[in-house]
Amino acid sequence: MGQQEGYADDVVKGFIIWSIVWGLVAVLLGVLISLQLAWPQLNFPPYFTYGRLRPIHTNAGIFGWGIGSFMAFFFYITQRLTRTRLWSPKLARFQLCLFNVVIALAAITLAMGMNRSKEYAELEWPVALLVVVLWVIFSVNIIMTIVKRREEQMYISLWYIMAALVGVAVLYLVNNVGIPISLTKSYSAYAGANDANVQWWYGHNAVAMVLTAPPLALFYYFLPKSTGVPIYSHRMGVIAFWSLIFMYLWTGAHHLLWTPVPDWVQTLAMAFSIMLIAPSWGAVFNGYFSMNGQWHQMRDNYLVKFLIFGITFYGLQTLQGPSQAVRTFSGFIHYTDWVPGHVHMGTLGWVSLVLFASIYYIFPRLYGREIYSVGMVNLHFWLAVIGQLIFSISMWIAGVQQAAMLHATNPDGSLHYSFMETMIELYPYWHARAFGGVIYFASLLVFIYNLIKTATSGKPAPVAARP
Amino acid sequence: MDVASIYYLGVTFLLFALFAVIVGRTYNRRDREKKEAPKYRMMDED
Ligand code: HEM
Ligand code: HEM
Repeated sequence: MGQQEGYADDVVKGFIIWSIVWGLVAVLLGVLISLQLAWPQLNFPPYFTYGRLRPIHTNAGIFGWGIGSFMAFFFYITQRLTRTRLWSPKLARFQLCLFNVVIALAAITLAMGMNRSKEYAELEWPVALLVVVLWVIFSVNIIMTIVKRREEQMYISLWYIMAALVGVAVLYLVNNVGIPISLTKSYSAYAGANDANVQWWYGHNAVAMVLTAPPLALFYYFLPKSTGVPIYSHRMGVIAFWSLIFMYLWTGAHHLLWTPVPDWVQTLAMAFSIMLIAPSWGAVFNGYFSMNGQWHQMRDNYLVKFLIFGITFYGLQTLQGPSQAVRTFSGFIHYTDWVPGHVHMGTLGWVSLVLFASIYYIFPRLYGREIYSVGMVNLHFWLAVIGQLIFSISMWIAGVQQAAMLHATNPDGSLHYSFMETMIELYPYWHARAFGGVIYFASLLVFIYNLIKTATSGKPAPVAARP
Repeated sequence: MDVASIYYLGVTFLLFALFAVIVGRTYNRRDREKKEAPKYRMMDED
């Protein structure tokens, strides 16, 4: 069954376009806040300060760019893997409107300073309620499509999709329980160490259910589609899936090492974080082994290049993450710029590269046109990778330098450097990060220009044309 | 050991047992072809 015969793909187009718009906003704000750190005089109170713009950056990045495009791809992939038209295209169109309203409301309320002070769960309760409605509508549509499927067995991507739907729902509801005192202010239902524990159970599983499971669903779908060769082992994919799901839920407290959270909770989180290497690398190996005899495609198939670099960054991320979860290492790099280096290898390297590949795969199919310029795709790729590496590497060096300074002591045991002295040393790295950000932003402009030209003046192509 | 600890431990073992069952079922040699079939079927033209 193709688009002509009835897959609901219009709404996929809508989500792709809007997620790119929000992605552009996220990256633009990312560049702006990195410039604000490097040149503090670029803060303009009250709306254009680092404190107000940072949460808009993270929300636009994770929810606007990340979840927006995952919504598009869940619709696209689910219909094809189930060989069933979307349960309700009308509901999906309504969801697209609501999605944009919610992200816009999030940006406005955060700019006005309304903030629950919980990272990645900043939105005040009226907006959070709309998020719940949005998620219920989305989940019902996907789950009903799966229930009515015409394909008996479920390919691994569908498992990840369902985990993300259920996982985000549970996490969001539990961490958002609060007591409203007005339309614009509420307090968390939890207090003290319990609040911190619930928050980071949510925080890290947001990484699992938003920044890991959905891109893995896409990777498992688009890698074989792009190479023309099936994934190496479906069974290994299933085992890696279940072990990932079992393990992730215990790891949140690795964000709270050396805090008043009970010691055993911290140790549990540390142990499970290390165990997570196995299922994470299960996916990485599945990807690499699928390339057996196909490595030449890294040269001639740009989709493969994005996907393999993406899964490689995921592999590095899931080695670095567990190291950071070890108490001694955490004691060193926590509270330093090392962590934003980790975060952006994940968001700019892993998540965004897989999304770019997926968009390049479906865009020509949705518009029935060949990609406008392969040269521009390659330019986009290299600018993105170089920009991201400059960002991450400069932050890792900055983190180690700052950690070393924060831990330096005099013979009498007093601290050798003041906090401000460590900050001053960070300026060159902050300049480098801003530079990396500008390069990444440029890559995004090339990407968008190429897509616009593809939609408006690309050569008509057979729907199934491979790059 | 108090009741709460036994309960935690029980849940952990239960989850582990569940996981073992999933591994056993997935890697059951008789089902090998069936369990690998989705990776071929998803390659059909979309
Ligand atoms: C070139 C593009 C980008 C630049 C220059 C940039 C820059 C920044 C900066 C300066 C921070 C604050 C770091 C700090 O707390 O010291 C930050 C935080 C963050 N950004 Fe970005 N960003 C970019 C793209 C993205 C994208 C696309 C996403 C999501 C998909 C994202 C997700 C995040 C997250 C989750 C944090 C919070 C990290 C933490 O709390 O440790 N960023 N970003
Ligand atoms: C095995 C997998 C992973 C483990 C064990 C892990 C572990 C960690 C640890 C311990 C921290 C806290 C660092 C600190 O503040 O001291 C952290 C932060 C973070 N990680 Fe990972 N990580 C993993 C994979 C990923 C992936 C794939 C992403 C995807 C983008 C990611 C995104 C983040 C983000 C956004 C934060 C910052 C949270 C914040 O403080 O705001 N991680 N990770």
